[in-house]
Amino acid sequence: MSKRATIGVGLSTAALTLLLAGCQSGLRPIQQLNQPLSGLGNSQSPSLNSEWLALISSRTGSRAQVQLIDRRRNAPVPLPGLNRPDSLPISVAVDQRGERLALVRQRDDRSELVIHRRSLQASQTVPIEPAGVPQRVSLSADGRVLAVEVSRAGLWQVDLLELP
Amino acid sequence: MDRGGRTTVILQDRRSGRVLPLRQLRNRQPHSSPSLSWNGRYLALLVLQGGRRQAVIEDRATGQQLPLFLPAAQEPQQLSLAPDGQSIALELINGGSRRLQVFSLAGMLEPDRAPGLRESGGGSPLQP
Repeated sequence: MSKRATIGVGLSTAALTLLLAGCQSGLRPIQQLNQPLSGLGNSQSPSLNSEWLALISSRTGSRAQVQLIDRRRNAPVPLPGLNRPDSLPISVAVDQRGERLALVRQRDDRSELVIHRRSLQASQTVPIEPAGVPQRVSLSADGRVLAVEVSRAGLWQVDLLELP
Repeated sequence: MDRGGRTTVILQDRRSGRVLPLRQLRNRQPHSSPSLSWNGRYLALLVLQGGRRQAVIEDRATGQQLPLFLPAAQEPQQLSLAPDGQSIALELINGGSRRLQVFSLAGMLEPDRAPGLRESGGGSPLQP
């Protein structure tokens, strides 16, 4: 093989390696955030923005809980008034400021939609009209619009609710 | 939305009510877990690819679709895209356990910032 051909093959291999490396390295885990997450046990229902991550975590033998992680400190913050011993969280969403959390939870064999305001440490049930079973919730980044997936007579629908 | 028995993501402009086309997502149902960036430039969701769920991000500004490759043993179940498009949280199932992992998208996606936010620079604020 001539020197030029060898260089050509070498460059092609290098380019391919770089290309593959680029594809592989594109999705970079954020380790400083994933580390505390791994300590929470099973976790699900993520709601992410640049400041906060809300999720539901559960450890073996204990009840599932809503967690809110401050991305600046990579640590959970307390959520007084939100997690109740008589309810099971199903889906959670957080706004950009970390002020409002929307939550679907099961309580007394019923699913309910709740808005929690962190600064007030208060939760308020949001009525589903017409009646239905809420399943999954999403909150706009500005916290003003809530989308909730509702089952009505076997039909899945999405309700949009504007929040005051 | 159920279309012909296949769960399909629909993107609707809230102001006009118009349903916007998502041509690249055709024939990759069932779709699930849609998540939009601030201005709707990016739509992240789960699609079916080769019999497995795959997370993808559709860039509506360029029409490109970005597949997010994960280790073979990990299957995404749900996702959440940060509104600025600079990170994504994936709920992954691995050997019966569910766990969340957050990935950076910085350098892969241009930021989709909230309206009214200055990108960078621009000098000092004006003094009265």
